[in-house]
Amino acid sequence: MIIVSSPRWSDDELLRELDAALQEESVDESVIRAAQGAFAWRTVDADLELLSLDEAFMLTDDVLVRGSGPGAPQRLVFHGERLSVEVEIDEIGIVGQLTPPQPGEVTLVTADGPQSTTQADDVGCFAFPLPASGPLRLDCKISSERFITEWVTV
Amino acid sequence: MAEVSEVSWLVQRSASGDEAAWNVLVRRYSPLVMAVTRSYRLTAEDAQDVSQTVWLRLVEQLANLRKPEALPGWIATTARRECGRKIRQARRMLPVDPQVDATLQQSTTVEPDAAILRAELRQALRDGLSELSARDQWILQLRAADPPKSYQEISHLMGMRIGSIGPTLRRSLDKLRETSAMQAYLAANLSDEETGGDHRELAEVE
Repeated sequence: MIIVSSPRWSDDELLRELDAALQEESVDESVIRAAQGAFAWRTVDADLELLSLDEAFMLTDDVLVRGSGPGAPQRLVFHGERLSVEVEIDEIGIVGQLTPPQPGEVTLVTADGPQSTTQADDVGCFAFPLPASGPLRLDCKISSERFITEWVTV
Repeated sequence: MAEVSEVSWLVQRSASGDEAAWNVLVRRYSPLVMAVTRSYRLTAEDAQDVSQTVWLRLVEQLANLRKPEALPGWIATTARRECGRKIRQARRMLPVDPQVDATLQQSTTVEPDAAILRAELRQALRDGLSELSARDQWILQLRAADPPKSYQEISHLMGMRIGSIGPTLRRSLDKLRETSAMQAYLAANLSDEETGGDHRELAEVE
């Protein structure tokens, strides 16, 4: 086996790895077409703030959940400068909360476009039934401002 | 070199709305995404979900990518995280059956870091190969084939003296090592070897 990050590959090692590289080049056309379709989402409104998924939180979440076993909801936290969104996803659906707690309008968006809209209550809580598997994001409208989370796979 | 700017150029064109450039980017790096999903043994359906999420994220980050040559690393890392999410989720959604769960834990808690690096290396090899002249590509492909073409066959196919095949092949391999794609791969991953580093990609996106 070639050492993946050594610059001292022999000629034979390099040729074998090149062969493997060329073998795995073909990808199903339907996967490529779906991926290319992502281009339709290129333009993000300038007045829309992107909320980033907190990956560090994901790691601690994983450690905790390993202890609590199957059936525990998946927790995701998205951060922006003025708004955070925390969600829990289980087999029934998605529940979430806006932080700081405040009312607002939350729309569940998939790669096909907006799916459903709900009102976050006075303490910022909202819920959706579980959508079909695939990428999703949440679009939050608070007063006249809009925030949108990164895409995540569900 | 011109090729560093080829990825940069594709990224810039895509960011400014050129869908054809985007389609080339997707086609070029989809094998990398799929190789990562394979290392997690995802089903075809889950792999497609991960792939779509990676590209949806990238399309919004195009304008923020400061070092386009680090794009393969960014793609591999994003794919790996989304694969991890899929795996954790599958584990949660399963009915509680200790036996099934034990098997799942075993097969999914192995961090496929080496597999991810290998996927990036293979992407760099494909990209590197495409930077070379048609003749360099040809001789490398003939010798990389399994089984490799003999010097006799190569001599016949390429119209080259048998005695000059060895030196030509070595020069082509050295050119492959020196391509910007391979150099970018090594620059991104060599120093990470000890740390098991997962820090590099964070620096690439603002």
